[in-house]
Amino acid sequence: MNEIISQYFDLSEMSKHFDQVLDGFVLTLELSLIAGTLALLWGLILSLLRQVPGKPFLPVRFLTVAYIDVFRGIPLLMIILLISGSLAFLPLPDAITIPHWLGKPDTFWYGVMALTITYGAYMAEVYRAGIEAVPGGQMEAARSLGMSHGQAMRNVIVPQAVRKVFAPLLNDFIALMKDTTLVGVIALNEVAHVGRDIQGEAFNSSALTLGAIMFLIVTLPLARLVDKLISREQSRFTRGAPRVEAL
Amino acid sequence: MESTALSGGAMLRLENIHKRFGKLEVLRGINLEVKRGEVVCVLGPSGSGKSTLLRCVNLLEPPEQGEIFVEGHDICKGPGSAAGEAGWELDFVRQRVGIVFQQFNLFPQKTALENVSLAPERVLKRPPKEARAKGTALLERVGLADKLDEYPDRLSGGQQQRVAIARALAMDPHVMLFDEVTSALDPELVKEVLDAMRELANEGMTMIVVTHELGFAREVGDQVVFMDDGVIVEQGKPADVLDNPREERTKRFLGLVLER
Repeated sequence: MNEIISQYFDLSEMSKHFDQVLDGFVLTLELSLIAGTLALLWGLILSLLRQVPGKPFLPVRFLTVAYIDVFRGIPLLMIILLISGSLAFLPLPDAITIPHWLGKPDTFWYGVMALTITYGAYMAEVYRAGIEAVPGGQMEAARSLGMSHGQAMRNVIVPQAVRKVFAPLLNDFIALMKDTTLVGVIALNEVAHVGRDIQGEAFNSSALTLGAIMFLIVTLPLARLVDKLISREQSRFTRGAPRVEAL
Repeated sequence: MESTALSGGAMLRLENIHKRFGKLEVLRGINLEVKRGEVVCVLGPSGSGKSTLLRCVNLLEPPEQGEIFVEGHDICKGPGSAAGEAGWELDFVRQRVGIVFQQFNLFPQKTALENVSLAPERVLKRPPKEARAKGTALLERVGLADKLDEYPDRLSGGQQQRVAIARALAMDPHVMLFDEVTSALDPELVKEVLDAMRELANEGMTMIVVTHELGFAREVGDQVVFMDDGVIVEQGKPADVLDNPREERTKRFLGLVLER
């Protein structure tokens, strides 16, 4: 028992490395927020491209579906390695292949790219579910009032769809946040990488545990929020029925 | 085209409209002319193609064959051809033909007033202030002056349907289509919606009304059309069609409706 406590919950070990771990976690948060925001936008764009009507856009729809299928089917870790390993050698401006925007290292931006590419595909599917859950009469009403497909999407369909899938999107965001730790393998000093370095030097995992606790401080309230949103959404559909309070 | 010249006096003219869903031929050659200011009531059993006919007129379901003229303008050039949407005058028809649906289809995230002013703002590019002023006037006209800022789910079915009528009118349509607009309503709410439609007819709006309300058809309709199985079986003055139907199918249908 003592070994468990000293290996994972050594308070002096934790306090000694607290600043270092916190720095790593701040980087994790920054990575999550930037990649999460971009993935939310990219996913929405993908879901809209997937639904553009008309024959001329058939290739667009096909390519979008192919993209979504491909990047949901490849492990994020491999995407990270593929980007970080070879992007620098591509014949593109250095600002893109070896980015240092906002004073962040190139590994940070490789992580942002990989997370956006992969989670954009996941989120596109969530948005699609939301768009398809909006009754068809809404699009007909909007179109019959003279709105174009795009106007109807923007003003009528997407606002309703996003409301419906807010909880699953947030769920995906939590998953994305946890997956930022994978960017540690390309030596970005996010919280897991920092924790692992300390672990290697100190032969003690308490710094990593500290990082895990920092994760929980953020993810647990978010998970509760997701639950709350889901039950609220459901009670909208079962209005009038007796409400079962969540435990 | 010759028919363009002929349809000069007609608000709306349908020529040999065909529409199929897969193997099912829902409309099998519909010809109909609606004069300016006329109210045409379309009756018929469910599945007879009434709703599809309305949806063809504003190109929600473009016909595969036949021509539709709105104010003498062919809105459906070369149906069935590869032209697709390019051959449909969507803007022309949708800014002249308004439709009200059975299920209201109000935008749930918008207030009554926003429902009415949204399309004029976004499609006609009216200044928001002007669109809201007009929306307010329209909602007052259908008796909802006190519900401007309510969301649809706070309104009764009858109130929602009146908002939907105001919403369609906000686009200044020249023709209004009503697709069984009272069928989803509780009986006590039907009258308020029919009253709003009656008033609209009295003001001279050209209307096509798909309905099961024989009383309304008799009183407000200038023309009654009875449809069955994708064709127009009988049409004429309400008194003729409703009181002295010639066709067996019309008699049977009216018998069933009146027996209720």
